[in-house]
Amino acid sequence: MLRRPAIVILVAVSAVPTIAGLAAALWFGLDAGAFSRVLGTPGVGLSIASSIWSGSIATVISLMLAHLAVGLAVSGGWRTRLNALTLPLLAMPHLAVGIGLALLLAPSGVLMRLLSPWATGFELPPDWLTVQDPAALSLIAGLVLKETCFLIMALMAALAQVPSARLQLQAQTLGYGPLKSWLTAVAPLLQQQIRLPLAAVLVFGISNVELAIPLGPGLPPTFSVLLWRWFTDANPLIHSQAYAGTLLLLLATAATVVAAMTVSNLARYVLRSSVQGGRRHSDDRFAQGVIKATLILLWTVGVLAIVAIVLRSVSGAWRFPALLPAGDWLSRWNDVLPTAGNTAAITVALATATALVGLALVLPAAEQCRHDARTRATVGAWLFLPLLVPQMTFLFGVQVLLVRMNIDGTFVAVLWSHLLFALPYLWGLLAPARAAIDPRYRQVAATLGAPPSRAWLTVTLPLLARSGLLALALAFSVSIALYLPTLFAGAGRFATAATEAAAAAGSGNLRLASVHALLLAVLPLIAFAGAYASGSWLFRHRQGVPR
Amino acid sequence: MCLRRHAAHLIAGCFAAVLLAAGGAAAEQDNWPAVVAEARGQTVYFNAWGGDLTINRYLQWAADRLREDHGVELRHVKVTDIAEAVARVRAERAAGRDDNGSIDLLWINGENFAALQSAGLLHGPWVSEVPNASYVDWEGNPTTLIDGTIATDGFELPWGTAALTLFFDKSQVSLPPTNPATLLRWIGDHPGRFSYPQPPAFLGSAFLKQLLLLLVDDSGHLQQPAGDDFGKVTEPLWAWLNQAHPHMWRRGRLFPLSGPAQRDLLAVGELDWMLSYNPSEASRAIRNGDLHDGIGAMHFAGGALANSHFIAIPYNSSATAGARVVANFLLSPEAQARKADEQHWGDPSVLDIDKLDTDDQQAFSALQIGTATPPAAKRYLPEPHPSWTTALEQAWLERYVR
Amino acid sequence: MKPLQLDKVVLSVDGAALFEPLSFSVLPGTVTSLLGPSGSGKSSLLAYLCGILPPAITASGAIRIGDENLGRLPTEKRRLGLLFQDPLLFPHLDVAGNLLFGLSRGGSRAERRRRVDEALASVGLGGFADRDPATLSGGQQARVALLRVLLAEPRALLLDEPFSSLDDDNRERVRKLVFDEAHRRELPTLLVTHDEQDVVAAGGAVINLSGPNADKKE
Repeated sequence: MLRRPAIVILVAVSAVPTIAGLAAALWFGLDAGAFSRVLGTPGVGLSIASSIWSGSIATVISLMLAHLAVGLAVSGGWRTRLNALTLPLLAMPHLAVGIGLALLLAPSGVLMRLLSPWATGFELPPDWLTVQDPAALSLIAGLVLKETCFLIMALMAALAQVPSARLQLQAQTLGYGPLKSWLTAVAPLLQQQIRLPLAAVLVFGISNVELAIPLGPGLPPTFSVLLWRWFTDANPLIHSQAYAGTLLLLLATAATVVAAMTVSNLARYVLRSSVQGGRRHSDDRFAQGVIKATLILLWTVGVLAIVAIVLRSVSGAWRFPALLPAGDWLSRWNDVLPTAGNTAAITVALATATALVGLALVLPAAEQCRHDARTRATVGAWLFLPLLVPQMTFLFGVQVLLVRMNIDGTFVAVLWSHLLFALPYLWGLLAPARAAIDPRYRQVAATLGAPPSRAWLTVTLPLLARSGLLALALAFSVSIALYLPTLFAGAGRFATAATEAAAAAGSGNLRLASVHALLLAVLPLIAFAGAYASGSWLFRHRQGVPR
Repeated sequence: MCLRRHAAHLIAGCFAAVLLAAGGAAAEQDNWPAVVAEARGQTVYFNAWGGDLTINRYLQWAADRLREDHGVELRHVKVTDIAEAVARVRAERAAGRDDNGSIDLLWINGENFAALQSAGLLHGPWVSEVPNASYVDWEGNPTTLIDGTIATDGFELPWGTAALTLFFDKSQVSLPPTNPATLLRWIGDHPGRFSYPQPPAFLGSAFLKQLLLLLVDDSGHLQQPAGDDFGKVTEPLWAWLNQAHPHMWRRGRLFPLSGPAQRDLLAVGELDWMLSYNPSEASRAIRNGDLHDGIGAMHFAGGALANSHFIAIPYNSSATAGARVVANFLLSPEAQARKADEQHWGDPSVLDIDKLDTDDQQAFSALQIGTATPPAAKRYLPEPHPSWTTALEQAWLERYVR
Repeated sequence: MKPLQLDKVVLSVDGAALFEPLSFSVLPGTVTSLLGPSGSGKSSLLAYLCGILPPAITASGAIRIGDENLGRLPTEKRRLGLLFQDPLLFPHLDVAGNLLFGLSRGGSRAERRRRVDEALASVGLGGFADRDPATLSGGQQARVALLRVLLAEPRALLLDEPFSSLDDDNRERVRKLVFDEAHRRELPTLLVTHDEQDVVAAGGAVINLSGPNADKKE
């Protein structure tokens, strides 16, 4: 690995700040007095419990849904449609989903307005705790919506590593139905492949603020939201409480991940004994119907959430139960555009820089381990590190270091923090794509007289173009969605759609939040649509170019 | 009487400060052209609450004007709570960054000011150097010099004055309940329709302080730091809240997180009430289409909680000249009139109109007052000592976070 | 044209030689056939000649064109034309783009394009210049691949079972075309194959590779 500098640089860019941040967090966070104050905070036990509860339950539900969806889609021949269904939801930032769901599900939300007063009889919104409920059900719903899509994508990527069709067929010839064949023969192998993404989902579920701010319980909030409030408190005692709290968050997350690993081993054992029981039932039609309906429901909720965001962003006074906001929509847009314009410019600049720099880091490294699957996996695991630690824990350490180096609040600092989260996705997409290109193309180019640089530019790069465009869109979307990194590394000087939306949602101002949430939701969709369209256009007459 | 003794103390303090300000002013303002020259080309990071579109737009206007007139680049750093910025100044102090700090100007008052001032983290005194400070109504408005019982000493410049106002939907509230007892009765009669922002959101804490001031026998006592008798003094407040919460929005298990959140809930019909420190907030919101028509406003008959808000410069700002030029502009009759204009912000001015020349006076008298703006409160109740705020917030959390 | 010469060439994996040291020369305009079971190292020998040997295989011995030693030259400077089993036309370029990639330097844009069009016409593919390679039949792709190699003006031709993926009809036609061009251009040609018919058609020397490891690898 050391003989391949691009790989070393790539891993260092990601791992050095992550590990340094973690170390700094441990150094500055270990304070017995602060710990006892954290534990003495009213409702802190409930707060930690609701974080673990919501993150774990959401992960379990998402994992089951994702396995069923992928299994049924592959055996039912609607894999492409599943991709098309999940990608838009995957592209939508968590914050936008959270804000959209809050606007959709609240008693005065779009859903209730659709039904009132004709079906419900409500002239005033009912006083129900549908959003921010103490049991965190609305938060779990939001997490499931997002994480199911993420895990579906992870499973789809893992399919390439597993001879799924042959395994399933083998089980089917033994008399098992397609779904049972899938779940017993293929799913366990896939499960092994997606351990890291799954852990990331669990960590995010427990430690996120993006969904917990708009959807999580209020009194007390989830632990991460509590910490987030402490970080922004004037009192230095409370500040040190936040530092210590992030270590507690780390501990809670780690404990849950370990517990989850134990449970999953147990589940594998149970699954194996159920296989050894030999029971077969071959009719999957019911399961197919249920899972399709569930996916369509998720998708509809996602679309309705965007509709709710659009409506709220153009509405001012919007008394229940009117379905459409009163007044002049266009003039409300005029109100919003100048503010949103500035934010959009900074957001897009940051996201574009993240995507381009990320690509520049990943491409040479992918080149250097194109023949070496084991190094690719190792690099991938290293790059995954920032996703396996609660963001707040190491970002707070990173912030302390940045302030010491006097580079907090600079564009480079924010860009770097965004790279930490974009690189694992870029690598996940580009490293296999690079490895999949037939090496003989390069050899042909060389025997025809092309030196390595020309061969790379004229042969390798065009063959990678489609994946590259998609990777750019993906990194762009990841950057758009990032909130805590921008906040911690940006010294509050970078007003992106995410920071604005989170700040507004954090103070409960959903009207303002919806303006920025709209931007959040739309920019990634534009990026993906652009990547697909330009890829198709570039190679519109070239069937043989890899997708 | 405690109250009278306190008033005398307060007024004496004010006069001392006015004299101090007037004495040094003439000499210091001679340097002003040099300050203006130094400011040109500087970028001023103004950390100010960014939760309101209208205010953000006002600051954008100010930034445009400052760029054109003075070559100063004003950047509005939007914070959720100014405490974030206070924390940042402290963090920079802890990290030893004693110049080139990330903040040049703060929108601040009350406990946040007290925190920075007592730690010596503010630049100054500088207020008397600013030419437009001479228009401020120092004499008539004691809250411009005393910020939550602490003297400002020229370290922060008043920017606006506020009085806690309650707004309500007139179709649901026929007779405004102007004392705590009648409000409690209204809440009982209209379950789920009243709430207040969740402490420690500043409007929520303000509501607690307002109620406390009205419910205690001796409000003068609250000007002293909170002590061992906190539990006993605040007992009537908790009794009131314990009776109100079960009948409030979401049965008191969830609260709006801020003033704008509460306004949002009023706008979509979930609540019949909202709170604001700004008496013209509802009128302005109606004009902008953010609220429906038919909003009424009231102050409590026993007096409205009042305070001023200020701007201050952190000790480690690298653009103090630029920050002072910004401050001077924000206090100019033009900027203050626009700020008082409900079409642009609608925040009452801190200037003494009588000190202005005729044209500027004209600008103020031409302002239109909206239908949902209440007449000025009959009595202003000064803020309790900051220690009460902290103690109230802590006690509230301990009681109601379960 | 000059002969292609191999002098005591040995390939080894993990220190074990794949075959006995190999020395022979291929004269201009003749086709030498290299036979051997799979794993005998015959494809690797071609890779060694081109300088694209995978790092797992080590090699020794000299390779020369005339007097020039190729061992130290990078692949792109050796000017040896290599045809793989698959045509490997660049999928992102049209047919003309593929040929222009091969065509040696020099000439105006119009001139280069004219040479490409002529070359296509000479193998019965006139008018195919703008086609997407993915839409061509196997035989057509093989012909384009040959043209691409020839336009680069190689000093020798190395053929790695280039006819085995074609159906019977095409195989014969493409084989004839390749050998005719090799004769016409006086190229020393080395053919790796399994197919006895290839050997017969080549008509040149035959070298059988069966080294110490051949049995094990099978």
